[in-house]
Amino acid sequence: MVRWELAKFKVERTSEGMLNSVLYFETEIVIPETRKAIVVIYNGKQFTVGGSELKQDYMLYEIKSKLERLLESSLIRELSKHSRKVEYLRGFSLTKIEVYPEGTLANMRYTYNDKFLEFGSVLIIPPYKDWDKLCKVPLTVETNAVSNIKSFYEILTEICRSAVRIKVDVDIVNEVINTLLRKIGV
Amino acid sequence: MITINCYNKTIRTFFIETKIKEPIYIGGVPIYELYLEKRPNEGHLYINGVRSKALSGGTNYQMIEPVLLQYFDEICQMFSDNTDMDINDESYLPTSIRVNGKHVFLIEREGTTFIMNSELGLNDIRQISDKIESVFKVKIIPLLRRVGLYG
Repeated sequence: MVRWELAKFKVERTSEGMLNSVLYFETEIVIPETRKAIVVIYNGKQFTVGGSELKQDYMLYEIKSKLERLLESSLIRELSKHSRKVEYLRGFSLTKIEVYPEGTLANMRYTYNDKFLEFGSVLIIPPYKDWDKLCKVPLTVETNAVSNIKSFYEILTEICRSAVRIKVDVDIVNEVINTLLRKIGV
Repeated sequence: MITINCYNKTIRTFFIETKIKEPIYIGGVPIYELYLEKRPNEGHLYINGVRSKALSGGTNYQMIEPVLLQYFDEICQMFSDNTDMDINDESYLPTSIRVNGKHVFLIEREGTTFIMNSELGLNDIRQISDKIESVFKVKIIPLLRRVGLYG
């Protein structure tokens, strides 16, 4: 397999009413040797790579189910407690992606409606090994979900309480990318 | 906002603002807004710039001084360097920690967004904040309230 780098990873689910929801996914993988960017998009109906449709099979089904799992994070559930609106959006994305020879760091951003929680940097690729390490290393944390310092501290506690789940999310990101690369034959 | 400066694991200075319901009298004038402070190299409590023992009721204030400073020392035990802290006066949780003048922990608010930058891990932050919150809620504030120095 050629060397590759991650430039974008974003998954969202928009909802209108109880039954009408659409999953959206976009990732950009860069091949440094050729400076080629591979953009994979799922628009709720089909996966495309650089605009060409990927044939549906169990691999894509597996990716979809993993993307759905990312949106079931306990941190998104926590954000939902701070939103008074009926759900219209939930999301997970990587921001501030920084690629080093030793690995890729990024911020993890969870969204529920207009509320977000973002923290980092977290070692995404290769996935960090020890879930307990998350709360032992310096992190930046940013959120608009709370209105006072006390609640902000509760969010910090929730991040540490969700450390195992966050590790699972990092693993899912890796599994999705690896499955995609296998599927498109990079 | 409450500010504290620790040096070599002991309290060097603190500054607390509070509003009280029953006034204390300074120069015969009833005062409802208090500024409590400890100055560097002095083991005394100052109230609105006046040494507490000089005020009416000063004996009570003087009596709590050693215990009060001991409570602040409990917080300072966590810091061996020259450490400044800003503490939110509703939650008694730290919003800023500077060691030797450099921020190691800072929570800022930009509009509706809280942003935390830190050189400490979240576990350390939670351990430090738990201690500070507990010393204030269980010890310092009840002690000050007992002598009418906290609202």
